[in-house]
Amino acid sequence: MTPFAGFGHQLRFVLRLDRVRGSVWFAAMIGVVLASALSVLSLYGTVAERQIYAQVATADAALKAIAGPGYGLAAAEPTEGAVVMNEVEMYTYVAFALMSVFMLVRHTRAEEDGDRAELVRAAPIGRLAPLAAAGTWVALLNVVIGIGLAIAMTVVGLPVAGSIAFAAAGVGLGLVFVGITAVTAQVASSARSARSTASATLGAFFILRAVGDIGSGRLSWLSPLGWAQSVRPYADERWWVLGLLLATAVALFGAAVTLSARRDLGAGILPQRPGRTEASPRLDGPLALALRLQRGSVIGWGVGMLISGYFLGLIADQADQLAENDAVAQILDQAGQGSITESYLATMMLMMAIIATGYTVSSMLRPRGEERDGRASPVLATPVGRRRWLFDHAAVAAGGTFLIMALCGLGAGIGYATSTGDAGQVLPLLASALTMVSPMLVLGAFAAALIGVRPGWSAIAWAGVAVVAVIGYLGETLNLPQWARDVSPFTHVPLVPAVPFDLLPVALLAAVTVALAGVAAVGISHRDIG
Amino acid sequence: MTTAISLEGVVKTFGSTQALDGLDLEVRTGEVHAYLGPNGAGKSVTIRILLGLIRQDRGRVELLGGDPWRDAVALHRRLAYVPGDVSLWPNLSGGEIIDYFARLRGDLDTRRRDDLIERFELDPRKRASTYSKGNRQKVALVTALSSSAELIILDEPTSGLDPLMETIFQDCIREMASEGRTILLSSHILAEVEKLCDRVTIIRQGRAVQSGTLSDLRTTTRTSMTVSTDEPITGLEDLEGVHSFRRDVDHVHFEVDDPAIAEVMRHLAGLGIRSLVSRPPTLEELFLREYGDEPVDG
Ligand SMILES: Nc1ncnc2c1ncn2[C@@H]1O[C@H](COP(=O)(O)OP(=O)(O)OP(=O)(O)O)[C@@H](O)[C@H]1O
Ligand SMILES: [Mg+2]
Repeated sequence: MTPFAGFGHQLRFVLRLDRVRGSVWFAAMIGVVLASALSVLSLYGTVAERQIYAQVATADAALKAIAGPGYGLAAAEPTEGAVVMNEVEMYTYVAFALMSVFMLVRHTRAEEDGDRAELVRAAPIGRLAPLAAAGTWVALLNVVIGIGLAIAMTVVGLPVAGSIAFAAAGVGLGLVFVGITAVTAQVASSARSARSTASATLGAFFILRAVGDIGSGRLSWLSPLGWAQSVRPYADERWWVLGLLLATAVALFGAAVTLSARRDLGAGILPQRPGRTEASPRLDGPLALALRLQRGSVIGWGVGMLISGYFLGLIADQADQLAENDAVAQILDQAGQGSITESYLATMMLMMAIIATGYTVSSMLRPRGEERDGRASPVLATPVGRRRWLFDHAAVAAGGTFLIMALCGLGAGIGYATSTGDAGQVLPLLASALTMVSPMLVLGAFAAALIGVRPGWSAIAWAGVAVVAVIGYLGETLNLPQWARDVSPFTHVPLVPAVPFDLLPVALLAAVTVALAGVAAVGISHRDIG
Repeated sequence: MTTAISLEGVVKTFGSTQALDGLDLEVRTGEVHAYLGPNGAGKSVTIRILLGLIRQDRGRVELLGGDPWRDAVALHRRLAYVPGDVSLWPNLSGGEIIDYFARLRGDLDTRRRDDLIERFELDPRKRASTYSKGNRQKVALVTALSSSAELIILDEPTSGLDPLMETIFQDCIREMASEGRTILLSSHILAEVEKLCDRVTIIRQGRAVQSGTLSDLRTTTRTSMTVSTDEPITGLEDLEGVHSFRRDVDHVHFEVDDPAIAEVMRHLAGLGIRSLVSRPPTLEELFLREYGDEPVDG
């Protein structure tokens, strides 16, 4: 039997499984980008408005770190396309990449962790067919969304060539991440680690290009996210860069196929060491077990946040230099109350905190996974109460959140001190990072309350993360009304060090957290475990 | 004699599924009690209620003198549980998992644990993700059997064990029984039940249909007979209380309800009995009948 036998069959099978999921990604991505583009077009309809936007954007380090170099903004009369790109391009690429990561792991490594892959592989299906079918399907989904995106951008009135370039760059990046994830799915020993390794790679690429874009731009060439931006949609498109993305994607996927041919089903390439004969004396309760299970992810997030914080701090002093122009400095000053550097740092902390909420929620959803997989019942059949069981997991989620944010703040402080020789920002940045923990815990407690009351709906906690991310990153772009922004707990937290610390909102957020935890406690004590 | 477990008229519904429908169950202290029933009968649901994981909609449940829902934590100090579907933390080794549960219960007995690990030939250093189904089950068994709990609840604990391990399991259960511990064993393996259990409860569709000692169940039900006579046997299959009538070359086989035995003997007497073998039904026959579609009133 050839290794690809049954490919077509397998492809139809995954297509059928993903009808809903695929449609949701399609609708969400096109919907958000379309809404953002329309909003930007209405905000910056005239050349004069766009000129002011361009002046500020090119001088704002925070915006550069998040959005990129802003190709086309330096023109005497910036086009609508250039402004729209500066607002939506980076998020769109990140979304393409994340979609590829989640969808591909779902059909490869996650299947192997369950027993279903064995059933499939026992059927007359070639060894490489499942990987090839999964890769083809996710690539196809990328292309379909890309086509939708190009049409949507054209329909709102942007030039056709730029719209195609924008969509193609997104698809290209998506394909690169199909390749990267296909490799991590072979190397890692579980779906969770395949997913987090691929996501961490995306994070590293983001930081590389953020640092590169604020500096000379050279570092951005080490990051596929930087390549995608270098296609320069609506700003003298450079089509050849698409070839770079495509070639990388093909090479990575080829590598994954080669690796996959060399390993056993269900195993990673990296071998597993034998475990301990007896448990360490510290493994003596649900808290210790939760710590043990989450050790890897806390360390991974901690290192990632420390390094990201370091680089964001390292480039902070360039925020001032970018804003040398007095008129621009004034505009920026009006935006935040603190200095330009301080408001840059505060914005960065907010952005990092929203990303790190991913940790808080995924950690808090662990007990739900334990319950679903049947590991909760035997534990709850011992003298461990339900509330203690849930709260021990919550303690790890909350403690981990504090830890990774502290590392982020510390990293930023050290980075800032490295470039300026001024260690005076270490403590303020630590304070800033820790202030951000309060809204993060609200989302964690929301997840816990769902587990307590409606465990079947606990995935809604992820929708909560998506909502605060859209409000946090795109609130301005979408020109959301204040009441809508108020939905996100991050809207209420003081942006230290740009503004002084204010206890009241933090205390209120803590009160909401406690109330949600109370709901979780009551819920878990009264419902069936199963 | 005291009761370790007693359920009266317990009802549990999940949406439109009636899982338990007025279930009665009594397990006496110190006995090995088999809990039998076809797939989906409600055995696991009963056990989850006894563990306080789910709550009955109606009916009275008592476990070791307490309420399993309200007094869960206190009662769990006194019991051990082996689930049917054993799911373990993939990155932990079997040895770690066994110790973890022992510490949760607060009764780690290393001598007993090591002894059991050796008898079940379990490699405790392997990570749980690499265990076979039978080995996962062994981890759960060692966890429960190494405890000093006074009540052990086992939900189909041996479905993945090989015959050799099955024998060792039976030895362990006998030892625990001889120490005076109470054991509730849900199982589909009838030979195991026959060897181990003092009393049996059979449920169907969420109701107990039989309960008693094995010999009670056998004698109060039917007898299997094989008969050959000089004259041809006619009309016997039409008698009230005669079932599963089958004719061989020179024998007939049938089962007869015990109250009808006298009538059957009268019928056969005139035909010149050459040979007659009668025996109690095998457990197999008993269960096939109880599991079958026509409900039987105990
Ligand atoms: N959480 C639940 N939600 C809905 N229905 C359930 C749930 N748990 C059990 N049931 C239903 O209750 C009935 C009894 O299930 P139970 O698991 O107790 O069967 P069982 O006797 O253990 O069967 P088996 O021998 O196959 O293990 C089944 O119809 C099952 O589908
Ligand atoms: Mg069951």
